[in-house]
Amino acid sequence: MKRLFSALCGALAMVALVFSASATWAQTKGKIYYMVPTLLDEFQTESVSALTKFLGDVGYETVTLNADNKTDLQQSQMNDVINLKPSAIILAAVDFNALVPSIEKARAAGIPVMIFDRQITTTPSDFTSVAGTVEIGYVAAGEIERLLKEKNGSVKGKVLQVLGDPADPYTLDIQKGFEEKMKAFPDVQIISLPAMQWEASNAGTIVADQLVANPDIDLIFVHAAHLAVAAVASLEAKGKKPGDILLVSSNGAPVGLDLIRKGWEQVEVEQPLYAQAAAIAMFADKVVNKQEIKPGTYDVLGLESIVTIEPWGANIKIPGAAITKDNVDEARFWGNLKAPTDPVKPVE
Amino acid sequence: MITPRQRAVVEFVLDNLVWFILAFVLAIFSLAIPNFAQPGIFINIIEQSTFVGVMAIGLAIVIIAGNMDLSVESVAGLTAMITGILFCSRGIGIGLTMTPEWLVLPVSLGIALMVGGIIGSINGWLVVKLKMSAFIVTLASYIWVRGMVDAISGGRSAQDLTPALRIMGIETFLSIPLIAWVAILCFVVFTFIMAKTPFGRHITMIGGNPVASFRAGIKVDRLIIITFILSGAIAGVAGWLLAIRTSGATANLGIGMLFRAFAAVVIGGVSLKGGIGQLPGVYAGVLLLSTIQTAMNVMALPVHYTQMILGALVLAALLLDTVKLAIRQKLA
Repeated sequence: MKRLFSALCGALAMVALVFSASATWAQTKGKIYYMVPTLLDEFQTESVSALTKFLGDVGYETVTLNADNKTDLQQSQMNDVINLKPSAIILAAVDFNALVPSIEKARAAGIPVMIFDRQITTTPSDFTSVAGTVEIGYVAAGEIERLLKEKNGSVKGKVLQVLGDPADPYTLDIQKGFEEKMKAFPDVQIISLPAMQWEASNAGTIVADQLVANPDIDLIFVHAAHLAVAAVASLEAKGKKPGDILLVSSNGAPVGLDLIRKGWEQVEVEQPLYAQAAAIAMFADKVVNKQEIKPGTYDVLGLESIVTIEPWGANIKIPGAAITKDNVDEARFWGNLKAPTDPVKPVE
Repeated sequence: MITPRQRAVVEFVLDNLVWFILAFVLAIFSLAIPNFAQPGIFINIIEQSTFVGVMAIGLAIVIIAGNMDLSVESVAGLTAMITGILFCSRGIGIGLTMTPEWLVLPVSLGIALMVGGIIGSINGWLVVKLKMSAFIVTLASYIWVRGMVDAISGGRSAQDLTPALRIMGIETFLSIPLIAWVAILCFVVFTFIMAKTPFGRHITMIGGNPVASFRAGIKVDRLIIITFILSGAIAGVAGWLLAIRTSGATANLGIGMLFRAFAAVVIGGVSLKGGIGQLPGVYAGVLLLSTIQTAMNVMALPVHYTQMILGALVLAALLLDTVKLAIRQKLA
């Protein structure tokens, strides 16, 4: 018994030593909490690695809390974090509007809030780094216009648009941008259907059904690359070959890039994840120290990005890129999972 | 007062009401929805019933035995991810190969059955041996198993399933994809087991009255554990089929299927109180749900209304089931 007790005490002492050592080692400018909406998709998973790396470059420790796509959970996580008084909070909101009171509460407590990836314009925040989901829709529309023209001689044809979950503003914004631009082409018929809960087999089902009901579909536009994989599986099951039906997807995940390489997909509209995360790190010191952020053009990992001062605060917009078979292997695309190794430097 | 012949007809209709509803719905959709009435659509409905259908078999068996298994969806997600990691060549897949190549098929299926069976046995052991509530135990499994999917995948996906497995998703027999035949085979086998073997009859008796079954000499605890193992293993097969259908696995694969499986089981006439239910009715329930979903896909309804319409139609089917029970009581 005595031996067991001493062994237990020894183990506890070792654990305490390890913790204190890591605490000493981890002394930084402070902790920044990253409120990630979910870890069930590759964009979000990679965003954790990217933010941890880039914020580490500029001297901050990143702590990530996963809301598992639950608004109420993210709200309570915000409340908890506010009590911990971190240097700042980075928020990628599950629900754009529901988190507004939490942002206001954090800022009232003197904790700066940076908005990442999912734009919130209804309340002020301290910094916003986004690709612009509506803009992703614009880029996709431009590419689809080109693809339809190449295929049919003019911008006409039938497009199946597979959204993500219809309760997610992210997919609705892409739809808005896409349909807004496509209004200029009345000869293009768009059929829109949602893949509930962003679940891949739901997207596969939609594609399988539509291929029977509308066999003359020219192009499928899916709002996330992991849905494109299921769409391709359905195309394959229906005896289609790469290129028989054009495929465009968005977010730039590794799966989408693989589909381009295999010829199934023609365009992937990328969310510039690394640049979005790097921008957060570049401006972290200014946000934490409550210094003025000047509008203008900044170089973020080689991408020309524009900072504007909007009613909701400083906002950096980083252009999304269209990935095709010609540029698919470029390391700048996060889907290639080659995070930049050069350290990010804070904006002076 | 009705004659015995009339009573027999009414009984037959009530016993197979969900099949009649399915036929009615198919007829209405075929007449009302352009492009719906064609073989391709009917094949799609059968194919799309595969995953929820297989999942619903295990769920129905557990419910008929008087318990509950909320973990089936997550178990399917886990076996899909394990199949993806082992036999996909891209993403997080390690691209395991075997010689001869076809060996991948039984090995991957065996792994899925084993993983599902292990989780089912944990559930069953906790419910039977520790007398814990099946609802709570399997709810916890629903959470930790999905967490395990996230943990082993790191949120990433596996793609490019080996052709030896993909063949099941691409090839057809009598125009119906092989994966759908797996589901049909599962229904045939388990319908036989539940209706024609002592095991099936004992399960139904336990669900109806576990105390009387125990006194009649039936090994209640052992059979309940077996139902959980079966439920887990069958959910494992559903996950295996999902991975084949989507040529890989994502961390959220299968999410939302638990509720569709529950709806199908209830629509199919299985009583949530246990002791009542037949698997052919459950298959009809799954087909009915897939028909409704397919109709909405074909009609391309405004995206914000689809979930609402689906819920309303499920509710309508359940109301009919309630009417059926009322008629049955009057007849008794």
